[in-house]
Amino acid sequence: MRTEKILIPSILVISLLLFAFLSPKLTPFDISEQNLMIAKNAPSLSHIMGTDIYGRDMFSRVIAAGRISVFSALAVVLLMSITGVIVGLFCGYLGGIADTVLMRVSDIFLAFPGLVLAIAAAGLFQNGMFGAIIALASVGWPRYARLARGLVLSTKTSTYINAARLSGSNTVQIVFTEILPNIIGQIAVTASLDIGTSLMELSALSFLGLGATPPTPEWGSMINEGRSLLQIAPWITLSPGVAIFITVSIFNIFGEALRDYYNI
Amino acid sequence: MRKQMKLISAAISTALLLGACAAPNKQANENTTNAETTAANSDSTSDVKTMVYGTTSYGVGMSDAGLNPHADYSGWSCVRYGVGETLFKLNENIELVPWLAESYKFLDDNTLEVIIKDGINFSSGRKLDAAAAKECFEDLIAVHDRAPADMKIKEIKADGRTLTFISTEPNPALINFLAEPYSAIIDMQVGVDETKNVSGTGPYKAISVSDTEIKLESRDDYWEGPVAKKNITVKSITDGDTLTMGLQSGELDATYGLPYASYPLFENDNYTINSSATSRAFFMQLNFENELLKDKNIRSAIAMAVDKEGFVNVLLGGHGKVANGPFPMKDGETPNYSFSPEKSKELLNAAGWSDSDGDGYVDKDGKNFELNFLTYPGRSELPILAQSVQSNLKDIGIKLNINSTENYLEVVKDSSAWDILASAMVTNPTGNKAYFFETTSLTESSKNRGHYSNSELDELAKTLSTTFDSEKRDETAQKMSDILVDDYGFIFVSHLQMSLVSKNNIKGLVPMPSDYYEFSKDLVIE
Repeated sequence: MRTEKILIPSILVISLLLFAFLSPKLTPFDISEQNLMIAKNAPSLSHIMGTDIYGRDMFSRVIAAGRISVFSALAVVLLMSITGVIVGLFCGYLGGIADTVLMRVSDIFLAFPGLVLAIAAAGLFQNGMFGAIIALASVGWPRYARLARGLVLSTKTSTYINAARLSGSNTVQIVFTEILPNIIGQIAVTASLDIGTSLMELSALSFLGLGATPPTPEWGSMINEGRSLLQIAPWITLSPGVAIFITVSIFNIFGEALRDYYNI
Repeated sequence: MRKQMKLISAAISTALLLGACAAPNKQANENTTNAETTAANSDSTSDVKTMVYGTTSYGVGMSDAGLNPHADYSGWSCVRYGVGETLFKLNENIELVPWLAESYKFLDDNTLEVIIKDGINFSSGRKLDAAAAKECFEDLIAVHDRAPADMKIKEIKADGRTLTFISTEPNPALINFLAEPYSAIIDMQVGVDETKNVSGTGPYKAISVSDTEIKLESRDDYWEGPVAKKNITVKSITDGDTLTMGLQSGELDATYGLPYASYPLFENDNYTINSSATSRAFFMQLNFENELLKDKNIRSAIAMAVDKEGFVNVLLGGHGKVANGPFPMKDGETPNYSFSPEKSKELLNAAGWSDSDGDGYVDKDGKNFELNFLTYPGRSELPILAQSVQSNLKDIGIKLNINSTENYLEVVKDSSAWDILASAMVTNPTGNKAYFFETTSLTESSKNRGHYSNSELDELAKTLSTTFDSEKRDETAQKMSDILVDDYGFIFVSHLQMSLVSKNNIKGLVPMPSDYYEFSKDLVIE
């Protein structure tokens, strides 16, 4: 029953990832080909999501943007979860001054609203989508460090850890072969629920001009491009908006299902 | 039965709750209506009309906050909003005409004599004479960043209404700089208060000034005649879409800086759109450090591939004018440029560039033709131009990599980081056409980012700098413009058409090509 519940969300996520990966090959029109004669045309049979101010096919651009938007969100989650978990594992297991210092640093990060800090960091990096990914990852890792540290503290006095220590395993071996496999489920659930949030935050940065910049198609920057035309050509804003909505929903459904699967 | 009673009770409770919530609102609405009626009655008795004007062009970000003409670009605000006036102004053809001045003459190459009109008072009540003007210009020269280098003044003399400027070297453009908004004459005995308010000679005086808002009232004693009684609030609104919604909701009565995309919403009987072509040009500088761009055929291939009319008519929604050179075309003048992607392809082929691998881009010695395009998003038209040119050049097989960054002034220092720089500039701010060439296109010009150099142009600039006769100056400037266009060192795409959009009860809010004068005595709120 548990497996059945996660089956459909998993299929949806895998399909979405495959679709995002292949998206540049799936576009019916060239995403950068301009045709000013059909600029701002409403959705029709030939252009099902209409055209933008340059006469580019919105459907093709929304599809093509899928790769950069989805994989950038995954990159953010991977970066912040790996960094945070490594820090949390060692802080929790070793304790001492390093633990105190790193946890106080994470407290400082957690004291600020994440997106506000990310906007400041992305403005500092000024490096397009790469800068935005680094910015979001650099403000998101403390949550994972806190989570991992808490999980380590609750398991490090367990009998099997003492047994491993007595059998001669060193710290790195204990952390990676004994502790990590036991906490990975909870980390994975948190990470999967964070993908949707990261995608929206990346889109927000691009919307503000701090992530992907035109003409690179990215959902957030596409919404910004159509902002002034919301009353005249709403499809330019709505099309990438709907894409974000669907993608975030799929990742959230998957995260919920994963949480049920691990009984967390 | 019990179930029905429960439902009825729930319905009654909900109705009572809603009624309780609604009652104060109703009372509030009645109060508002009463207040509005009272205000309307009060307005009708005092006959003072009000106008709220939203603009993207006022504030700290635009370097024009406050009304002190001697600070940064605040002279623009001083003159735009009818507080300050200059000795000369620019007319519809960007030609100088006397304003506070009655007449002028150059006594010699270094001496300019200006007679000030009689009967002009500052809003402080003080009479404007040559002594008052001298005090103002001396302060300008002492504190302003650009004025001393522009005006080159050695000494100012005042005698009655006669003001005499003695310059350190022959400066035919001095008279033009007297029309620059920083030359607005203010009463220095009143000075500049802590809110950056001043006393000028214009039809309006400011009753409060802040970095985000100016409140103005009309003067009763304006020298050019009666001004319809009114109060105006100038609000700094940096987001174009907020302006759009403000005008739609009625919070604003008039706007400056609406996004092009919003104009169709106001093209109806309820609103008035007044437009004027300005000398703000959108143009591209080519980088002559790039060996490829030293070839004139390549430069002309690029220039001929740019669809200027498509950019202006479609992407700017017709709110611009195709450029034929650095200065706007006069009425009746037709654009003299060729848009011919086919000819561009021929020129590229002749230079040895062809698409041998079928990837859509021309190549030579196994290398695709790629150029880096640099611009900045501060002017919303520029990123649009970037994408338009990218598509135009792709059509002839040139790959354009766009970098649109606020940090462009740093990037531009590295000549290997860019090949084409798109920017916007007011090419003729004071009727002195030499300004554009001196700033951007002579060998030693400070903003000649692409290191363009043309000895003939440099020589003509020297001639222009010592020519006092206005016809000869225009003739020389035209020759210089032709050289620049024919040499494809610069590609001029369009000139900005500035529009002021207002409710239809606002009359006389008409923009000028110089972009300086917005509120005149003829502004009427019906």
